[in-house]
Amino acid sequence: MARRVMSSGLPRFVLGLAFGLALMLWLAGLRGAGLGEPLSAFSTVFLGIFIEAAPFLLLGTLASGLVEVFVSPDLLRRRIPSGALGGALAGAALGFLFPVCECGTVPLARRLFRKGLPVSVGVAFLLAAPVINPIVLVSTAAAFGFGPLLAWRFALTAGIAIVTGLIFSVESQPQRLLRATAMPALQGGSQALTSPWASGTRSQNMSRALVVAGDEFFEMGRYLVLGSALAAALQTFIPQARLLELGSGPLLSVLVMIGLAVILSVCSTVDSFVALAFLGTFTPGSVLAFLVYGPMVDLKSVLMFRQVFKRRAVLYLILLPLALTTAAAVTMNLFLAP
Amino acid sequence: MSTSRLHRSFQALVLALLGLFLLNKVWNGTVLWYINSRFLPLTLIGAFGLLWLAQVRLAQLQSTLEGTHDHNGSSPSAWGLLVLALPILLGLVIPPAPLGASAVANKGFAVVAPAGAGGSPVQIEMAPTDRTVLDWVRAFNYTADPAGYEGEPADVIGFVYHDPRLAAGEFLLARFTLTCCVADAAAIGLIVRWPAAAELPTNRWVRVQGPVQLAELEGRRIPLIEAQSVEAVPPPDLPYIYN
Repeated sequence: MARRVMSSGLPRFVLGLAFGLALMLWLAGLRGAGLGEPLSAFSTVFLGIFIEAAPFLLLGTLASGLVEVFVSPDLLRRRIPSGALGGALAGAALGFLFPVCECGTVPLARRLFRKGLPVSVGVAFLLAAPVINPIVLVSTAAAFGFGPLLAWRFALTAGIAIVTGLIFSVESQPQRLLRATAMPALQGGSQALTSPWASGTRSQNMSRALVVAGDEFFEMGRYLVLGSALAAALQTFIPQARLLELGSGPLLSVLVMIGLAVILSVCSTVDSFVALAFLGTFTPGSVLAFLVYGPMVDLKSVLMFRQVFKRRAVLYLILLPLALTTAAAVTMNLFLAP
Repeated sequence: MSTSRLHRSFQALVLALLGLFLLNKVWNGTVLWYINSRFLPLTLIGAFGLLWLAQVRLAQLQSTLEGTHDHNGSSPSAWGLLVLALPILLGLVIPPAPLGASAVANKGFAVVAPAGAGGSPVQIEMAPTDRTVLDWVRAFNYTADPAGYEGEPADVIGFVYHDPRLAAGEFLLARFTLTCCVADAAAIGLIVRWPAAAELPTNRWVRVQGPVQLAELEGRRIPLIEAQSVEAVPPPDLPYIYN
């Protein structure tokens, strides 16, 4: 895609700049037209999500840059179990090695795919890592204590990640799931992003890792920006109060909290504190669903998924965890809740 | 200069500007309008990380200018550059402001206070006049019998929000609580009984003093201040209550 843009880059760049300017003028006009306050609320929420998430994305892209330069495909092949179940288990546990939240896992997973990581392992990693890592363990414990909710959150997340990973392992041809930019070069991946396994001096390698990180920050960052803008727009213009009023009943409350998790797009490292506010008013299953589904799928991560997976695979990544989370949370509401 | 080189130069520029943008927000304190202060170190790391990436990118541009060094990877597309410049542009065009009453109307008004980290109930030991809006709401939410608080003197600040559910001569004294970033901001507040309530403009920051009573809003207990004085105050430096 980048190549295509490059060929006609300059006119497009000017066009984009003109478009950007027009947008700014239009926004300024709206302010004059009395839409000032919602617009300013939108801008505040948008910048809030972006400022909060940007460092995490940066850490993820740095990890990705380091993997690109310092991890060889051989190393991955030797260390990752080849069986479907073993691979999915390993993928779900990988988060302890790379403690990044959802903004960071996507670039990292793509880089690992390009190094030949099996799709099922990467999918399990993608879904599990935002929760199953030391930082989120600590923040969840801080919010809820070492209680049943913490245990359920981790067990359910791991379970869903492993099951989804196993389902993905049925497809033996990764090119039917992954986009070309996420494929290893030998298997028909795009050449544009590929580079030979590093062999320079230490500082050359390091600076290459940083250049890779910088490129990736742009590639993934635009989806973070668009996702934040979308979430901010939904927050500003859809009355959440109305949404929350719907939230009683064992099933409906779960769906409302899942919807809220998607709209809020709060980072998984801190979502426990947000969920805490709902513990009194919402069913326990729905709070669990918020804590399990939110880190896996939200507006910004779905946009980023599209950079890694083909459309059908993205759909599976949204719907499989949705079905599994809902089933588990409703079961909890019906049979386990006090 | 080739298009690809132009894009790379702009990439370095946008990275550096984003880093400076974050640093500026930290420097003038407005970053706390967006995120909880406990994430400040992370924002700083992010800002310096971005500047570092910009520096590496520039150094690489220079080295490819001199030599035959083949550049790795692809250059970012034009619209990728623009999209990432969007936070900066938006920050320039729309004057930064903390969340206000329009967000209360949209987010809905939580009569139940978020319990906060650790789920700890209230520190009741503090003097009544030191309590914030959040402390009062918690006190009434998490005490079996809040009648014990009745008659205690309150001295709180917040902004004015005219809730349609309230009677004439009453307004809500509202605050936002923040756990992570403004995306999770929740509005909380107390009812204030003040004959001239209707004259107070929405969003105006006020300091309210008076004894507290127990009231109910839609079946939930909520503190009500029988105001003896309502005076306008400047917006506080920290507009939210961080928990």
